[in-house]
Amino acid sequence: MYKFFLYSMLIILYLGLAKALSPSEIGVHYLQNERAFAKLIKSPSSTVILVDTHATGFLIKTYYQKYRIISGFDSIEELIVRTNKEFAKRNIPNIGLSVYRKSDTKEEFIPLPPGSLYLNNPEFGEWKPNKKGQIKWRFSKSYKNFPKYLGWGNFRPDLEFYQQMRASVSQLKPFYGPNNEFGFDGEITRKNFPHFFKEERLKKVDLKTLLVEYFQENF
Amino acid sequence: MAEIFDRLLMRLILAAFVCLMIYLYRYAHVIFYPTVKRQVLKTINPAENPADTLHLFSRLVGIAIIFSSISFNESSGVVLSLFHFAVWGTIAIVLYLLSLYIIESIVFYNFDYTDEILKRRNMSYAFISLCHAIVIAYLTRTVMMEAENSLVILLVLWLYMLVIVGFSVKYFTYISKLSFNRLLIQKNLSLCFAYGGFTLGAGFVIASCFDQEHYDITVYCIQVLLKTILSLIIFPIFKKGLVYIFPIKLGEDRGHEGHIETDMQSLGYGFYEGSLFIAGAILTTMIVNRIQFGTIYPFF
Repeated sequence: MYKFFLYSMLIILYLGLAKALSPSEIGVHYLQNERAFAKLIKSPSSTVILVDTHATGFLIKTYYQKYRIISGFDSIEELIVRTNKEFAKRNIPNIGLSVYRKSDTKEEFIPLPPGSLYLNNPEFGEWKPNKKGQIKWRFSKSYKNFPKYLGWGNFRPDLEFYQQMRASVSQLKPFYGPNNEFGFDGEITRKNFPHFFKEERLKKVDLKTLLVEYFQENF
Repeated sequence: MAEIFDRLLMRLILAAFVCLMIYLYRYAHVIFYPTVKRQVLKTINPAENPADTLHLFSRLVGIAIIFSSISFNESSGVVLSLFHFAVWGTIAIVLYLLSLYIIESIVFYNFDYTDEILKRRNMSYAFISLCHAIVIAYLTRTVMMEAENSLVILLVLWLYMLVIVGFSVKYFTYISKLSFNRLLIQKNLSLCFAYGGFTLGAGFVIASCFDQEHYDITVYCIQVLLKTILSLIIFPIFKKGLVYIFPIKLGEDRGHEGHIETDMQSLGYGFYEGSLFIAGAILTTMIVNRIQFGTIYPFF
């Protein structure tokens, strides 16, 4: 009994010290849910885009998420956080979407296409007709690189897009674009976040293929 | 040809210099063991006292192990190389003998060198000393290699190593069924093989804990501490597992405790326990050091 107690204490001591002192535990924030962004994001006019998600571990998984923080007045940052299973799974369809937005007056947590915070805001751009006569959103010169950072590619939102987005927000529903262009199944997201959608990351390998590849590589 | 001959000459000179350093070590040994002055400084007769011969020459093996960690850099010149070897060789000798003195003071706190080796010719004591000499040498070598010619880091790591070894040698009483003090007085060889296996195993584990890349001394010391505690967690699993896989029979009649006592004091039991300790320790180093968990960065 004494030895069992001593062994248990040793395990507790190891876990405690590893948690407190291990360098891998220092510097990575834990994100309970989207509301915890408020503590991490200080700059106003910021939008937080989920760029990547990954799980490590054998029996007990640790979930990591990578975010791109785009701010109207600060440089672009990348943020890697640890999170829980429920939040990580819930956000897989929201890859490439803005999951948190902070303006001067309010915070929003409903997943929306990236850059929705800046639409219809004259500080960042204006609605302007293009060569075909369609009215599209155009960022001002200071923010001309935003479409690239936001993962828009050649896409530019029009007024209808904006109205549908606001309607979705008023119903507290996530918005993936009029034709589901954004998110996990969205064409625009798949094109502009290629790292997450790499074929080798998404494919599920069966045991036979795994063994064949192993023997080919090693013998 | 001239270049090859030059290199050979240089090797011969360096070999002679190493011999000179070992000659100096012979006198340094007397500082820590003043009672052996008579034996060390005159011609040694191995047949006279085998225990003393084993005790003395085990230290010679140890110092050879440590010297093997010091390298010569010919590009910086022969004189500087020799000076470098002389400085670090002297530091190694001092640290090694000091470590042995401290560890043996902890383990043999009830025993005296003069009584056990010179008077009683206790081979068990001498064999345990041999194991200490080899393990301490191996650990001092590891620490010297990790210090990378920094004296401050060497002193910090050496002290740290000494603390861990000090604690680990006391661990023997928790995991062995043999009574250390009683059996050592009886010159029991079962104890020396069991304890020898334990010490060598502990040496493997501690050396593997120290053997890792380091950029920051604080982080390095934390990692060593964590690995040491992890080894303490893993080792009993192998110990219990090996005992379960290879069960032994102690005594013909289990009703009589005396039979069991006699069997445990046999050489066979000493080999058995010593082998379990070494095997368990080597497997522990595998679990602690050889599992690569990777990082999240290839994905992110």
